[in-house]
Amino acid sequence: MTEIHTNDYRGTIHQRQKDLMLDWYHRLDQASDGGDPPTVSMMISGNCVELLEGFGASPIYPEVNALQLAIRHQSLEPILAAEDLGYAADNCAYVKADIGCMLKGITPTGERIPKPTLVLCNFVGCNTYVKWFEHVAELTGAPLYVLDVPFLRGEEPTEADVAYVVRQLKEVVQLLEKLTGRKFDCERFRQAVSCSSEVEQLWSEIKHFSQCTPSPFDAYFDAITLMGPLYVYRARQEGVEFFRAALEELKQKAIARTGIYDEERFRLVMEGPPPYPYFRTFRDMFAKWKACAVASTYSTVGGLWEFGFRHDPDRPFESIAMHMLAQNVTNRNYLQRYEQIRRYVEEWKADAIIIHFVKSCRLFSAGQGDMRDYFTKQLGIPTLYIESDLEDPRYFAEAQTKNRIDAFFESLEHAKSASRQGRECARTA
Amino acid sequence: MRIAVGVDVGSTQSKAVLMGDDGQGIKILSRALVDTGANVTRAAQSAFDQCCRNAGIPPQDVGFIVGTGYGRYKITFGNAQMTEISCHARGAHFLCPGTRTVIDMGGQDSKAISVGPSGEVLDFVMNDKCAAGTGRFLANAAEVMGISLDEIGPLSLRASHPVKIATVCTVFVESDILSYLAQGKRAEDIMGGVHLAIAKRTLSLARRLTIEPEITMTGGVARNTGMVQALETVLGQKLHVSPDAHFMGAVGAGLFALEKLGESFESSVWREHASSCRN
Amino acid sequence: MEMIERTFDSLGDLLQDLSFPTVRDWKREHPGARAVGFFPVYAPLELAHAAGMLPVLLNGAGDRLDIQHADSRFGSFICSIVKTTMEMAMTGHLDPFDALFFSSICDSARNLCFVIKRNFPQMYLDFVHLPHSTSETSVDFLAAEYRRIIAELERMGGLKVSDDSLRESISLYNQQRRLVRQLYELRAKSPYLLRTWESYVLIRSGNFLPVEEHIAILSSMLEVLPARPGKKRDSIRVVVEGAFCEQPPLELIRLLEAAGCDIVEDDLTLPQRWFSGDIPLTGDPVQALAESYVQNSVYSSVRHDFRHPRWQGLEEKIRATHADAVIFLIAKFCEPAYFDYVLFKKKVDELGLPHLLLEFEEKLFTFDRIRTEIETFVESLVFD
Repeated sequence: MTEIHTNDYRGTIHQRQKDLMLDWYHRLDQASDGGDPPTVSMMISGNCVELLEGFGASPIYPEVNALQLAIRHQSLEPILAAEDLGYAADNCAYVKADIGCMLKGITPTGERIPKPTLVLCNFVGCNTYVKWFEHVAELTGAPLYVLDVPFLRGEEPTEADVAYVVRQLKEVVQLLEKLTGRKFDCERFRQAVSCSSEVEQLWSEIKHFSQCTPSPFDAYFDAITLMGPLYVYRARQEGVEFFRAALEELKQKAIARTGIYDEERFRLVMEGPPPYPYFRTFRDMFAKWKACAVASTYSTVGGLWEFGFRHDPDRPFESIAMHMLAQNVTNRNYLQRYEQIRRYVEEWKADAIIIHFVKSCRLFSAGQGDMRDYFTKQLGIPTLYIESDLEDPRYFAEAQTKNRIDAFFESLEHAKSASRQGRECARTA
Repeated sequence: MRIAVGVDVGSTQSKAVLMGDDGQGIKILSRALVDTGANVTRAAQSAFDQCCRNAGIPPQDVGFIVGTGYGRYKITFGNAQMTEISCHARGAHFLCPGTRTVIDMGGQDSKAISVGPSGEVLDFVMNDKCAAGTGRFLANAAEVMGISLDEIGPLSLRASHPVKIATVCTVFVESDILSYLAQGKRAEDIMGGVHLAIAKRTLSLARRLTIEPEITMTGGVARNTGMVQALETVLGQKLHVSPDAHFMGAVGAGLFALEKLGESFESSVWREHASSCRN
Repeated sequence: MEMIERTFDSLGDLLQDLSFPTVRDWKREHPGARAVGFFPVYAPLELAHAAGMLPVLLNGAGDRLDIQHADSRFGSFICSIVKTTMEMAMTGHLDPFDALFFSSICDSARNLCFVIKRNFPQMYLDFVHLPHSTSETSVDFLAAEYRRIIAELERMGGLKVSDDSLRESISLYNQQRRLVRQLYELRAKSPYLLRTWESYVLIRSGNFLPVEEHIAILSSMLEVLPARPGKKRDSIRVVVEGAFCEQPPLELIRLLEAAGCDIVEDDLTLPQRWFSGDIPLTGDPVQALAESYVQNSVYSSVRHDFRHPRWQGLEEKIRATHADAVIFLIAKFCEPAYFDYVLFKKKVDELGLPHLLLEFEEKLFTFDRIRTEIETFVESLVFD
């Protein structure tokens, strides 16, 4: 078998990312002792981590815990525990893993995760988020606030949408003042929004590097690795420093035209979350064909920064509201996702689209057949549709998935060589 | 004459086809069919050996061997592998030159393939997670009714009022069938309903592509006349069914092998085993 | 009394009719007027009514349509009603409708809205964001959202909606809701006078009949039902809970009763029972509609309200109707229902009440398996 040569994004940044995440878990462990710092459970998508900085509070991200477990092949035990309690086979496995962990006292690092000061459900499109946090609140006894973010049903949010979210953000501030006994630090909050703005600029530049040929990093598998600090440290100086360093490292690679393979053969846009329990295996299936993701929708769940939007420290509440309303993939409507993918294919010069349907997540997956229809029949872009799950290891059929991927690249390969031969013939004719 | 062999190792049966090109056209010289059983490598070897014997050609005269099917990586004596999707498209195009859509119903999976003018794969969809639309579903249904697999097709053709089957789960359809039997429905109507349900399910999958004529059916289930009829009824069009439908994957693999011999297809698609030993 | 049976049968037939004959009739009688479809569960029908339109609640195609095309757009693990609704659109069954409205009940339904929008650009598709918040701010938001919808309805050919016309519409739907509450009270008190499948077709026909007509039917039935000859049965009193967006086949409801259950409370027809009282007719009617949604909605799996968690609401239902058992009837792949089941079950266990979980699909043709489960359950309660 030909050997697969990949240069994973494993510069110093990779280690730094690990350290940052460990620090975060360590802070959460400390908070388990006396509630200092206060902690707020939040969802990744459209998260308002800047607000927490105004209280010196730390986020808890159940989704990050769930994915960490899955990557370490530890998600099945908590999922089964949740199913024993009555959760269905077809409930989102992220939720089951998280609830199961709470039931069994499992955490990603073995350190403690505190009972949150507030369970803040930032409802940005994912209806499962609401149920999830209702259950977390019931289980932990912590107070719950559902921040209802109107769905982006038109091209832009309405004035009423923005006003509604801003009013709720301010309610959250009042609530946190009561729960933490701390006064909201406006200056610290503004600085946090400023940090976010800078991190977003850096992240956007990083994302644009994958427009180069070859791309210096994989905008799906490697981007996911970089996403942790994006959610936890976006509004902090550590985040700014981290992304500055990441940008520098990648810039060097881009200048040196160093790709992740010795030869980049295919450029892909990836849609959908990865199968975390089989992250490595899944990556290898594409690496075999020297296929590099140049863009992905999943890496924009926390925020869509590549098209110019930034948090604005001069309009902190309004810009946070805009981020939650319009600038993350989950609160945007399905057709806007088609457009996002189309832009990626065009501007990042991709050869094909890979749609990964995940059983757990109807937000991503319900209607992906129509998405495929749009891209193959209307736009003529080769699109592969594969299925598994993002968290539950029981739903990955390795041989079948590999088969589909191989067949897809066989036909792409054939098309490439046929057009190459055609061009050669034209030249010699 | 250039000689090549395609070996298709399926979940239930392994097929081998020996193809020859004497410069005046490609011909199928022999075929072999064995049960796969537990030892995939042995089954593949057995199919290959039988195929050579049937053609009267010694194995060392075979210039190139391409393996396909789910067991293709276990064909240790082969030179390269291709997925069965590519092979079915190629094979169907060879045997029915106007083919633009292939519907393949095998033992464990079913697929639809959009085929280009040279037999290349333009697009494909697969159902490989569940047995609906596969030979397994039909085998199960046959067993529940105590009928042999050979009879279910002709039986379904005699349906006058096919029953409605809602479930596409191989396991749960059993209780549907038993329920209808208890209601006194005719075996013909039950089988007719089962075949129609599978046909609808398969075409539902196929509609993710643009179904263009000529439509060729491949795979083991193509031998079931009842299924062909059911598909034609739901599609509203006639299907091509080659007598070699069951060997389509092996034929396609053989064609790729011949090409490799003729060195007309250069690409990194050819994934060669480190040990390309053919004994 | 024959009239009663005939009414149930004819309404039952109408429920099965995918060509929407009553909608087509109404359009013929009101040339130029619009019919508007709403996906479950709750919809502010009063807005469309006030704009001179016919609001219709869609409930998928049940078992009457083979899914031949929708499967290619929506794959596995998606509930049937999403697929049959897509299939209806793809086979022309939704042609009588000029607009379709969806709301924030779940992810699958929401994606369906936009998939239909792309494939049927000639139709007006909109998404109503019903709030998952009980903060006071959500009332103002919802009022603004309703005004946005009114503007769209007017723009697409509806009559100008005035405060008075909206109040009139609200008054009518208040009346409908009152009559439906009365029916449920009658049924809970005297289940032998009104079987569940009967009340079901009676109430659900309100999904597609003009509300004025529906009120007339409900009123006349309420007058004659108390005198209906009926024998008390020795059945167990059951609450059916299921977040019904997707509806069970009628046969399944009859089966539950035939197996020995008196369904004394259910959430099968939640759209017509959404509010716990009348919507006030004083003041700004848009504000009143919005305020009622946030403050006076009954509990539902598709609406977040933690001031009074759903499981407490379930306990109240059980006590109010002196129920013996709970049957959780959940549509396959209905995520909101699956989630709520966990905490509902916990509550019912705390109350010491027996319960049964049944999964169904709107497309069921053979009922043996499910019949066995229900009969076993009933037997275990009766002969214990």
